[in-house]
Amino acid sequence: MKIVVMCLCFFIEMSSVFAQERKEPMLSFDDKGKYIYYEVVTQQDKSAEALKERAKAYFRSPAAPKIQFLTQDSLWIGKGKLIINKTAFVLTRPSGEVRYQLYLDFKNGKYRFWLTDFNFIPYQRDRYGNFVPATSIGIPLEQNPGKLNALEWASYLKVTAKEVQLFADKFKQTMLADTAIAIPTTKAVPVQVTKDQKW
Amino acid sequence: MKLKSIFTTASLSFASFSYAQEAPLQISGSVDTYYKYDFAKQPNIGTSFASDQNSISLGMIDLALKKTTGKASFVGELSFGPRGQYQSLINGDGTDDNSFHIQNLYAAYAFTDKFTVTAGYMGTFIGYEVISPTGNYNYSTSYLFTNGPFQNAGIKGSYAFSSKVSLMLGLFNDWNVYKDLNGVSHVGGQLTLSPVEGWTAYLNVLSGKSAGAVGTGTILDLTTAYQVTEKVKLGLNAADYSVTHDGGGYTGGALYVQNAFTTAFSLGLRGEYFNWKGTGGDSDENVLAFTLSANVKAGGLTFIPEVRFDDSSSAMFLKKNLNPSKNASQFSLAAVYAF
Repeated sequence: MKIVVMCLCFFIEMSSVFAQERKEPMLSFDDKGKYIYYEVVTQQDKSAEALKERAKAYFRSPAAPKIQFLTQDSLWIGKGKLIINKTAFVLTRPSGEVRYQLYLDFKNGKYRFWLTDFNFIPYQRDRYGNFVPATSIGIPLEQNPGKLNALEWASYLKVTAKEVQLFADKFKQTMLADTAIAIPTTKAVPVQVTKDQKW
Repeated sequence: MKLKSIFTTASLSFASFSYAQEAPLQISGSVDTYYKYDFAKQPNIGTSFASDQNSISLGMIDLALKKTTGKASFVGELSFGPRGQYQSLINGDGTDDNSFHIQNLYAAYAFTDKFTVTAGYMGTFIGYEVISPTGNYNYSTSYLFTNGPFQNAGIKGSYAFSSKVSLMLGLFNDWNVYKDLNGVSHVGGQLTLSPVEGWTAYLNVLSGKSAGAVGTGTILDLTTAYQVTEKVKLGLNAADYSVTHDGGGYTGGALYVQNAFTTAFSLGLRGEYFNWKGTGGDSDENVLAFTLSANVKAGGLTFIPEVRFDDSSSAMFLKKNLNPSKNASQFSLAAVYAF
């Protein structure tokens, strides 16, 4: 019994140490006081057109988040969303979504992108047991939620920052890779003719 | 040995967690409790749920499961407590006090992105308010809700013509029953319109002859909500229910105005006019009801302090001295936790 208790204490201690060491991604404020994720990426060997084509192919692939692009001229502007799930061990349910604006700008040898205008839309369960947006107009993530909802709001911010970091990492990785972006097609099933086959 | 069993349990938990991440089973629900005080000290206002006078009473514990695998999904929602049993559900087999506790139990299949077929026992598509306290702004319910259907068992197909227009058509049992004693007897439809972002309107119809009814009942219902600004929301519900062969019915309308002062505090007013159609030569009776509620949110918990004033055309309420009265007023405080 003592061994079990000691092992458990050790695991709890170690996991808290690791948790402290792990760096949590955070969003920054822009000059208007809005949350922003901004990054300039250099890819010296690629022209602006090549970078655009690569980005286009990425956002068309099923692996990419669904972005509804409003313009794809010199500056790309798109709308996206990420779902905030409330998870406790094996249980999970969506508690809301964060809608954002994505901006992409390409030049020869480099590109920049930023995500901003983060708005939280809470979900509520409808009469059929499905989670649906409770409102159509979101609450800016910069808004002070008050003492009563501060803890929950902090968790939305944390998840948003984490998801945005994942989005950025994946996007940059795809832009960097030289291999073609795979768009899955229906795989042909091999046919084996067994009729009249001698065996 | 103990160490071994701990590691086994941990491995199994981790395995189930990994599986859950792949295809998560959604588990959600709510718990609600309330206190109501009628100023005439009578349980006067007889709408659903907030019914007990001067008592800290139970609503229900509601548990919902949802799972989606590819194009198929199911929802199972169970409720325990007065709100989720005898106040909103019929007995399971109709012969004793058993209840199946089921609010929703259905399976759905999305044949395409636009067309879905659903079959089972579902919350009704009629009306503005719902049984779950997390889906309503006011805690006490409207007369339109109390007198309308709660659930409809049946099979329905929904087709989305665009993001702004969709249509549902279905065959249903009698209102609020797990099984229909006179066969699948009702047809229903719902036209959903979303002309602008934030505004949705539902035009509903449900018609059929219930077991033991004198005639065919038809309900026409308009339910609409518009998020005017980040803070202001408007809602409207209007309905007419008529049963042929002088079987009565009702007509009514309710207007909902809500203003969110902060993310944690909002106020909402519901004004309702409701008319019971007289039968057998009796005249109609109507009631005008005003309900002012606040929603104070702290995480998953919502406190709903509420005052309500009802004024009737006939003396349908009681005074303190038990004499009949045309009006009634009450205060209630409810706590609703959603998880």
